[in-house]
Amino acid sequence: MTDVGGLGDRSFNDSAYAGMQRAARDFRGFIEVLQSRSAADYQPNLTALSNGRYDAIFAIGFLMNEDLAAVAGLHPKQRYAIIDAVVDRPNVTSVTFKEQDGSFLAGALAAMVSRTHDIAFLGGMDIPLLRKFEAGFIAGAREIDPRTVVRVKYVGSFDDVAAGKELANILYDSGSDIIFAAAGRAGLGAMDAVKDRSGDYVIGVDSNQDALVPGKVLTSMIKRVDVAVYRVAVAARRHAPLGGHLVLGLRDDGIALSDFRYTRAVVRPQMRKRLEAIRAAIVDSRIVVPFTREGLATFTPTPL
Amino acid sequence: MTIAGVIGAFVVLLAIKTTPIAFAALGGTLGERSGVINIGLEGMMTAGAFAAVVASGATGVPWLGAVAGVVAGAAFGALLGVLATRVRVDQIVAGTGINLFALGSAAFLLVLVYGQPGASKTVPSLGNGSWLLVALAFAVALALHVFLVATPAGLRLRACGENPSAVAAAGIDPLRIRLLAVTAGGALAGLGGAYLSIGELNLYSDGMIAGRGFIALAAVIFGRWTPLGAMGAALFFGFFEALQFVLQGSSIPSEAMQMLPYVAAIVALVAFRGRARAPAADGIPYERNIEEF
Repeated sequence: MTDVGGLGDRSFNDSAYAGMQRAARDFRGFIEVLQSRSAADYQPNLTALSNGRYDAIFAIGFLMNEDLAAVAGLHPKQRYAIIDAVVDRPNVTSVTFKEQDGSFLAGALAAMVSRTHDIAFLGGMDIPLLRKFEAGFIAGAREIDPRTVVRVKYVGSFDDVAAGKELANILYDSGSDIIFAAAGRAGLGAMDAVKDRSGDYVIGVDSNQDALVPGKVLTSMIKRVDVAVYRVAVAARRHAPLGGHLVLGLRDDGIALSDFRYTRAVVRPQMRKRLEAIRAAIVDSRIVVPFTREGLATFTPTPL
Repeated sequence: MTIAGVIGAFVVLLAIKTTPIAFAALGGTLGERSGVINIGLEGMMTAGAFAAVVASGATGVPWLGAVAGVVAGAAFGALLGVLATRVRVDQIVAGTGINLFALGSAAFLLVLVYGQPGASKTVPSLGNGSWLLVALAFAVALALHVFLVATPAGLRLRACGENPSAVAAAGIDPLRIRLLAVTAGGALAGLGGAYLSIGELNLYSDGMIAGRGFIALAAVIFGRWTPLGAMGAALFFGFFEALQFVLQGSSIPSEAMQMLPYVAAIVALVAFRGRARAPAADGIPYERNIEEF
C-alpha cells in the first residue's frame, strides 16, 4: 500500500514497487497495490488488504505507523512491514535506514572535491530524520578535512522550490561550492540554481537525481527502498519468523552513493578509492557515524 | 564578497521575495476595496503558476506563459466573483474552496499533461525578463493608487466596498463592479504565481506557492487596504524573509529565524493599531433591494 505520493513519484513509492516487482518475478508471485489518496485511507486500505490472503503487506511510509499498529493488532497471523518507521508489534517488520552513513560518504566526497573548502547542507524541515542527514554529512567532511566550513540552512518546507533556489544561491554566493540538498522537491530549486554556475555542484538525495542536471549533480545519496521491500519479501517467502526491526545501511546496499556517471572527471579514481576505504570502515564499525547534533559534537575523525 | 556585493545580493533577494507577494496583495486589495474578501489568493496564484508552465512548455514562448498565468488567475477570480455576487456564497467559504480546487486540479492536470505527479518537466523561463515583472509590480501599485484615488471608476469601486446601496441608487450595478474587481484581482494574483513558476523558476511543483497567498492576504490588511500600503507590506515581508534566509545558520536556531517575518508582522500590526479600517461593506454580500429601484 502506497503513501499519498503514490506510484509515479520517481522516488520513494516507485522504488518500493520496483522491489515488489523483483520479488514477484523471482518467486512467480503476484502483487496487489492500493494507493492512498489521503491519511484517512490508511486504515481502510490496510484492513482491506488484511482480509485477503497475502504473504506480506507493506505499508510504505512512516505516517502510517499508528494505523498499521491498530490493524496489525487485529490480524495477529498476518505478516506486515513498514518503511521508515518502527511499529512495535510481533507481526510487523520495521525497516529504517542509516541515512547518516550515506550522508557521511557524501560529506567526505564534498570535502575532497571542494576547491573553496566550503560546503553546505540544505535541509527540508528541521526534524530528527533530517538531522541524521545533517550530522552524517558534517562528520564526513570533518573526516577528510576538519577545517572545511560546512554551512547549514533549512528551507522550512519540502515543497517551496523557490525558497530552495534562493537559499542555494545564498550558499553559493557566500563561498560554498557544493550543496547537499536533502529537501524533497524544494531541492529541485538547488538543481535550478546550480545549472548556470561553473565549478559548483549539488548532491542529490533519495533517488538517483544525477541526470536532472548532468555533470552538475556530483552524486546522489540513494535510499534503496526497493532493496528493503525485496528482503522482507524473501523473508516472507521462506516463512522466516515474523516481526523485528531491519536497519539498512551501507553494508547491505540499502544506502549507497550513485555511480558518478556524469562526474567521473571531477571524482577522480583516488577519491573513489578513499570513499571505498571509508565505506569499508563504516561497515565494520571502525567509524561510527553520529546521527544527532549532540553526537556530532563529540565526533572525532578516525585516521584510516 | 565586498560590502557592496553583499548589499547588492540582498537587494536582488528582496526583489525576488517581494514580487509574487506584491502582485497577490495588490489583487487582494482591489477585491476588498470593492467589498469582496479574497481568501482564494493562494489558489489563484497556484492556477497562474501552473497555467504559465503549461503554456510556456507548449508554445516555447515564456511570455505567452505569463499571459496564460494572468488568464488562469482571472478565471479563478471570476469564479470567486460569481460565487460572491450572484450566488452569494459566504466569501470565506468560497475562497477556501477555490484554494482547495486550484491545488487539487493542478495536481490532477500535472499527471494528465506531464505523466508524472509531484513536479512538471522544466520549461522555458523568462530568465532576465522576469525583472520586467518586478518593475511591473511597482508600476501596478502606482497605477492602482491613481485609479482608486483619482478616477470616477475608482471612486465607484471604493463606494461598492463602503456602501453598495448608494452605488445602486446612483443607477450602477454594484455586483458587476465587484465581479470585475475580483476578476482583475485574480489576474494579478495569477501573474504573481507565474512569476514564481516561470520567472524565478522553470517548472511547476505541487505546493510551490507555499503560503505566499496567505502572506499576501496579511499584506492587504497590513497595507490598510491601499495599493501603496500593500506594496509596502509586501516589501516588509520580503525584507524579513530575505533577512531570515541570510542570517539562518548563525548561532540562532533555525526555527527562531523562520519566525522572524511573522513576529515582525505582529509587532508592526500592534504598532500601527487603530489606524487601519476595513471597507465598511467588506465581505458582506450585497442583495438587491426592490425598494431601491
